[in-house]
Amino acid sequence: MTTATTTAPAAVLPAPAISRPTNVVPALALRRLALTIRSPRAVAIPLLAPVLFALVVAPALGNTLAGPGQHRTYMTFVALAAAGLLIPVNCMFTGLGVLTDRQHGAMRELLVAPIRRSSIVLGNLLAALVITALQVSVLIFVVALRGAQFHTGRHLVWLVASAVGLAVFVYSLAETFATKITNAEEYTGLVPPIAIVPFFFAGTLYPITSLPGWLAGIAKVLPLTHAVALFRYGLTTQGEQALHNIWGMTDPTRMALLSLAVVSAYAAAALALAIRLFAKAGTS
Amino acid sequence: MTSTTAAVEADQLVKIYPGNVHAVAGISFSVPAGEAFGLLGPNGAGKTTTIGMLTTTVKPTSGRATLGGIDVARNPTATRAISSVVFQDAVVDRPLTGRQNLLLHLRLWGVDPAAGRIRCDQLSDAVGITHLLDRPVATYSGGERRRLEIVRALLSGPQVLFLDEPTVGLDTRVRHDLFDAITTIRERTGVTIIMTTHYLDEAERLCDRLAIVDAGRIVVCDSPRNLLASIGPEVLDLRVANPEMALAALRGRGIAEHDIAVTGSTVTASLRDVSSQHITEHLTRFSVTVHSATTRRPSLDDVYLRLTGAHIATGTDN
Repeated sequence: MTTATTTAPAAVLPAPAISRPTNVVPALALRRLALTIRSPRAVAIPLLAPVLFALVVAPALGNTLAGPGQHRTYMTFVALAAAGLLIPVNCMFTGLGVLTDRQHGAMRELLVAPIRRSSIVLGNLLAALVITALQVSVLIFVVALRGAQFHTGRHLVWLVASAVGLAVFVYSLAETFATKITNAEEYTGLVPPIAIVPFFFAGTLYPITSLPGWLAGIAKVLPLTHAVALFRYGLTTQGEQALHNIWGMTDPTRMALLSLAVVSAYAAAALALAIRLFAKAGTS
Repeated sequence: MTSTTAAVEADQLVKIYPGNVHAVAGISFSVPAGEAFGLLGPNGAGKTTTIGMLTTTVKPTSGRATLGGIDVARNPTATRAISSVVFQDAVVDRPLTGRQNLLLHLRLWGVDPAAGRIRCDQLSDAVGITHLLDRPVATYSGGERRRLEIVRALLSGPQVLFLDEPTVGLDTRVRHDLFDAITTIRERTGVTIIMTTHYLDEAERLCDRLAIVDAGRIVVCDSPRNLLASIGPEVLDLRVANPEMALAALRGRGIAEHDIAVTGSTVTASLRDVSSQHITEHLTRFSVTVHSATTRRPSLDDVYLRLTGAHIATGTDN
């Protein structure tokens, strides 16, 4: 007698209900943040130089260069400008994540997802803004502890708005470069000219009126110059002078609005370019 | 999708890359729902570019493709919603856990979270990776990572699953485990599968139908069984001193005229209409030295060899 045994077939899995994806940008931002916090160095290293600059270099310059009783004022002038170094450096390094994603990560999975490709850029940008906000908060906190003279609440919104605008601008540049460049070394080589060189011409260590005329003209079209002036306008009493050095007007609110418009225009243009190039690169 | 609509339809797809590189030179096929369809060919034949056009990451130079009746070029987001891809190499967030990778897919494809979690557990269980899900993917072996990617691709219940060289780079044991996983998944989901491969055993085992691709074109399309039957029950491999002379001698007498090919010093002939003894005797009569003669069952490589004059493993990259 033979015995036939049969195995019951496994039940067929019903397809799950799917709908149009919502909240995609926050989901992508959380993914990027989850990837970033697994590499704490990525958060800490960009913070290192600006914090050291604010804690060590700014007070030293204040003691050396400022007149009697003025060293704290000068230290505040320089220390706050360190945010103008921190934001670009951090945003440029965050852009490296896009390169890594494409070469070793899940970028292609994202490209075949039923979402707008702009969502991927915006998700990455949102994560970069969160990390930048955290870093700028740390910087301002340690600078305050070091003795900088801040006037919290005065025009803080200008600082926040200009910091966001600057971060959007630089991150969008970073995303654009990461889309076009395939080599991490080549990308890293772009960090100094994009993130560091403008710092020296943007009225960070000295007013732009101290620069030769042609260089001051260049400084006035740098978004960083406007952003740094707005940082000062937002948190110190030195901002009005910084804005006056750019615009030559007397109405501080008007000058602040104009500078914010400049930063926003740069940010919007760079973001539009980044989204366009990313979407184009997603389909060969 | 209605029952009469093909799950996947490609109509004269062409892709020419800059530099006048013709990656795909007019590929057409139609795949009914539930079928496992394979694109078999050497590296550089145009298989991955074809998948790229069907998954919206490569823009066709000309031609048209639909998934579930939806035009891929005109409505890419809608076609992406009903399909998923397992890529040739690892496309995962390695620092994240397997579960985090799966949950992101659920969110991006708009799967109901509760139903998605249940499906995640069912599929992970089906391919045996449940115990791995809370570990970072960086700690997975190649086979485990590939299983995770297959589970991820099926979370949204796609109508079409694209597998691009699903077992490339994996060792033999892991490859066979993966064959089982893919078979199980197919039984449990009824998904239409489009896969590319240059592995003959993989194509024969997993595909209902195969399109053999060479230099950007489909040279034949049929079931593996029919393709093998076209060669005959057995083939003869002859290692000879002068293969060109052997070929001329056999063809001159009309022996295996269309079923004979030469690669290196080996002449391979179908034994459909002729015996091995007859062939060797004929060669001896023509003073062709035969070093060895071996009969064997035909493989898909013989089909490819007969149609293109080259072995799949020695195909050139484009």
